[in-house]
Amino acid sequence: MTTALRRRIVPYFLLGPGTIWLVVFFVVPLYFMGKLSLESGSVGNLEFSWNWSNYSEALSAYDTQFVRSFLYGGAATLLALLIAYPLAYAIAFKAGRWRNLMLFAVVAPFLTTYLIRTIAWETILSDESPVTEVLKAIGLAPSGHVLATGGAVIAGLTYNFLPFMVLPIYASLERIDVRLIEAAKDLYASATQSFLRVTLPLSMPGVVAGTLLTFIPAVGDYVNAQFLGGAGNRMIGNVIQSLYLSQSDYPSAAALSFVLMALIMIAVVIYIRFAGSEALMGEEAR
Amino acid sequence: MSSMRTRKPGGSLAVLALLVAALSLLVAACGGGGIEGGGGEKEAEQIKLEGKPSGELTISNWPLYIDKGTVPAFEQATGVTVDYKEDINANESFFNKMQPLLARGESGGRSIFVLADYMVPKMRQLGYLQKFDKSGLPEVEKNLVANLRNPPFDPNREFSVPWQSGMTGVIVNTKKAPDVRSVCDLFDPKYKGKVDFLEEVRETVPLVMKCEGVDPAKATEADWMKAIEKIKGAAESGQIRNFTGNSYIQDLTSGNAVAVIGWSGDAVQLQVESPELEWRMPTEGCMLWSENMLIPVGAPNPTAAEAWINFVYKPAVQADIAEFVNYVTPVEGVKEILAKRDPKLAENQLIFPSASFTKKCSPTPPLEGEEELNVIKAFDAVLNG
Repeated sequence: MTTALRRRIVPYFLLGPGTIWLVVFFVVPLYFMGKLSLESGSVGNLEFSWNWSNYSEALSAYDTQFVRSFLYGGAATLLALLIAYPLAYAIAFKAGRWRNLMLFAVVAPFLTTYLIRTIAWETILSDESPVTEVLKAIGLAPSGHVLATGGAVIAGLTYNFLPFMVLPIYASLERIDVRLIEAAKDLYASATQSFLRVTLPLSMPGVVAGTLLTFIPAVGDYVNAQFLGGAGNRMIGNVIQSLYLSQSDYPSAAALSFVLMALIMIAVVIYIRFAGSEALMGEEAR
Repeated sequence: MSSMRTRKPGGSLAVLALLVAALSLLVAACGGGGIEGGGGEKEAEQIKLEGKPSGELTISNWPLYIDKGTVPAFEQATGVTVDYKEDINANESFFNKMQPLLARGESGGRSIFVLADYMVPKMRQLGYLQKFDKSGLPEVEKNLVANLRNPPFDPNREFSVPWQSGMTGVIVNTKKAPDVRSVCDLFDPKYKGKVDFLEEVRETVPLVMKCEGVDPAKATEADWMKAIEKIKGAAESGQIRNFTGNSYIQDLTSGNAVAVIGWSGDAVQLQVESPELEWRMPTEGCMLWSENMLIPVGAPNPTAAEAWINFVYKPAVQADIAEFVNYVTPVEGVKEILAKRDPKLAENQLIFPSASFTKKCSPTPPLEGEEELNVIKAFDAVLNG
């Protein structure tokens, strides 16, 4: 084999495992889901028929839940960012010898499963728990209960996805060359100025990656709404689940999944345009 | 990154070709599966018994729906090895998980499913059930209670044998909601945000119909929709806190809910730890239902499956099950056995209801075809708010 040929082939070998994984676990299921979303008839007698009305009907029937999912997901992302940034900053610059312990504390919740942690919140927020009593006393529970409200769902989403926000922001903050901040101070920048003009821009890759890692799964989540939400707080993930499992309406469920994917893609593309792809890719994209 | 940029233009084409090739291979391999089946009603397969039961038997049932002794006793009596799975949590979702297999004539290795009455005609019409060989079920023939022998969905009990029956009514916290005695009372603004309804369309909606004075057995689609509207109003106003399955138990014990629509057997078990909780027969009457043992198509070892069904219909065996699960037993002669063991249990109206106790109760109403689709759609829209 000539060196030139080998050079051309090697990248494909390296891409091989990833490509096969993607084909088997993403492209193939996507193909079947796409086919399913265009079928008509009832379960047991479904037939492929280019039935595009599955899309329009599903979208018009469940627009409320779509809007709600994006609101809840967006609110959770924003809250997670507000909590995560100071935390990541503290770990990166102020933690000293506690740094590893604090990082472990961020990741520690992953040692128990997502489901169990969410169910634990169901207990913590139940109507007669001390936490709820306090929230009621300071007027944060106008309906008299915390569980089974939209606020509980947003809180659950924020809690569950927080580590996905903290870790990328920490990674990008930790990489910042401290001499740059020192230089800003040497040039008479105030603490605020040096943060806004040096630290924050340099940590943007982490912020963008963190928001994407939080927002995308949060919008499609259904576990938090299932356990922490009430009768009027179900998200689009719950709708898709009930279409599949209780209504046996596979085509509409598949169509909704596609619409959800498309809407998230659009939101993400707009966001990356707005935030700038350099922020996501970091130095390399420049 | 840099290697990506200097890639030759032919590269992406090659990857694409590879993708397409792999995809078409896989599609070809998986083809024919899918979830399509032929239309129309199918001739059911008839079970052929093969001598004495032996080998292995896999059963799917609901959690906490059997005592600990019955499976080992069956294994000892017959020599059959049983894999008893508690993997059914809801009728529809279990059916929908199994459906792609059933459409291919497979049962996922399971020989017995335990599912609600209304699943029986649905699965039979799709050709997913096998017809019993009644010669293998003498105990059922002998001991099945009279009122369950000829249900409209399976007039000769050729496809289904009841596992347990039960009643759906209201479970109340007698300290916090002492005056809830009917389904109508659940709409009392006094209990706003403290009431759970069941997610089951065939139980919750008919109960609300009864509150409105409509007989579920004679309900039109308009009656269903009207009851669903009423539920929707209560959900939107915050009267109904949540729609639940078994998880209303947690809401009741933690004080999140003070009155719920719930199942009789749960209440009997709940009272052991929370004596303030009580199942009440709604003044409008309850919903009556059964869950049935079914042998699906492709079930391995149907001989052992029938032996199991026959075994649990022996009154002595059933007495152990009834004593543990506290639902209504479909087997004649159990009450007499339990009366000797635990007289209080034998007098419990929730386990051995008298005809006068269930006088106003209704069986699961028929709901089929277009009407079923519309009703389920409307109810799910309420569930998903």
